[in-house]
Amino acid sequence: MEKNSLNETIQTWSLVEEGLFEYPIADNQVPALLANRCTKCGKTFFPKRSLCPYCFEKGEMKEIRLDRRGVIYACTVVHRNSPTGIVAPYAYGYVDIPVNKVRVFGLFVGSDPSSFTPGQEVQLVIEPIKIDHQGKQIIGYKFKPVS
Amino acid sequence: MREVFIVGAGMTQFGKHTDRSLRDLGREACLNALRDAGVKPKKIEAGYCGNALAPAIQGETGVGQNVFWEVGINEIPIVNVENACASGSTALREGWMAIASGFYDMVIVAGVEKTVMPKGAMLDVGAAELETKLGDVFPGQFALIAQKHMERYGTTREQMAKVSVKNHFNGTLNPYAQFQKQFTVEEVLNSPVVADPLTLFSCCPNSDGAAALILCSKKKAQRMKVRAVRIAASILTSGTYSNQRDITGWEIEKRAAEGAYQMASLGPKDVDLVEVHDAFTISEIIHYEDLGLCAPGEGGRFVEEGATELSGRIPVNPSGGLLAKGHPVGASGVAQVVEIVWQLRGEAGKRQVKNPRVGLAQIMGGYKEGDTRACTVHILIKD
Repeated sequence: MEKNSLNETIQTWSLVEEGLFEYPIADNQVPALLANRCTKCGKTFFPKRSLCPYCFEKGEMKEIRLDRRGVIYACTVVHRNSPTGIVAPYAYGYVDIPVNKVRVFGLFVGSDPSSFTPGQEVQLVIEPIKIDHQGKQIIGYKFKPVS
Repeated sequence: MREVFIVGAGMTQFGKHTDRSLRDLGREACLNALRDAGVKPKKIEAGYCGNALAPAIQGETGVGQNVFWEVGINEIPIVNVENACASGSTALREGWMAIASGFYDMVIVAGVEKTVMPKGAMLDVGAAELETKLGDVFPGQFALIAQKHMERYGTTREQMAKVSVKNHFNGTLNPYAQFQKQFTVEEVLNSPVVADPLTLFSCCPNSDGAAALILCSKKKAQRMKVRAVRIAASILTSGTYSNQRDITGWEIEKRAAEGAYQMASLGPKDVDLVEVHDAFTISEIIHYEDLGLCAPGEGGRFVEEGATELSGRIPVNPSGGLLAKGHPVGASGVAQVVEIVWQLRGEAGKRQVKNPRVGLAQIMGGYKEGDTRACTVHILIKD
């Protein structure tokens, strides 16, 4: 957090979307994506859903924290800046979270973009995905190789 | 359900039409279709116009009313249809349903789009989806699919490139195609990488263009001096959006194909030519499999052995497809059917397929949770 000349706190970041993860977190806190799970069928949804599409009103949605460990399902490297301002080259794809039996979309960082491969073990990190036109950091989530 | 016939078909050349508006392109296509049918605008009872991105790109809504008024059509029911790349084909289905159910006897269907962007810019379809905000782009989605198809079935980059080579060759025979230039496999593979493994020439271009069809009942078609083509099947499906699905095939497409074959009482072996949604080279390979033209996983080998060339066992994308003909999003679904109508009538010039009787058009559009949103399959028969 920055302060201006009036000693007012200025927020220098904003979230890519609300409700996806807790931010900011303490250094010793494990980052986690916030999902929910239908108590009737057990299916997990990220991002969270208001209603289970399979159980309709018979299911109750319970919020859960996803395990941070994932396995890459598919990945690619994009060589053009995305229309939404993600700077190329960047890697992204889908990650399966074995503990929660759910697949999530994610950017891949922490290694050369072309180094990622299906089957690779990765883990969640919360960090800026870009700087917006006002100079604010946009905070999103990504996956990096398990060292 | 009544039988429905296509009695008029027309389109503009697809490509870069910077100085022309949506309504102007639409006017040309509709005029061509009306003239082809020998039908006056006042005889049209309803109009359906497919367009996906005018509100986002041109800041324009009500494209259908604008386009149809250009050719003197007003007052009748007009519906604007949006289903991403399946907008035009969904408009066609609406027109088909309207006549099949007995509501109208003659309707016009159009598809219009302008997606040519400043050089190097990628199509910005808005950031409503989280994945898009995080950097998801259409070439990337299909690059992921290509990776898994290569991993599962051993499909090669060369096989994928062959789709582009074939379709660009067909494009040189189509005066309506955006690209009139052939490529070799090497040229496709060596073009700049967009999203690995998809290169520039593995991806369809941004395009401007329009296409239109005149549909009518059997009774009306019999009284007209035109070579009418019957719509034997029209199916629209939506995605399953299941979370951990196998992305090497599209269940949404298999469902649409099965429904269409059943409706037309025929199978893949009865089809003489096909137009598919080759937005990316890998797409066409998977469409062969999902449509039952070849076995699952055999798509790469199928194109490699030449089965889908103009002279092949089952020509696919004789028009040049989205890759070479271009892909004005809302227009493509209608243009595929315009091509099939011309082919079935024997009016396809240098790219004419030998004596076709049955044509199939498949197109899919949109991204949702790792699946696609909409898929249509139409089957046309020259009785």
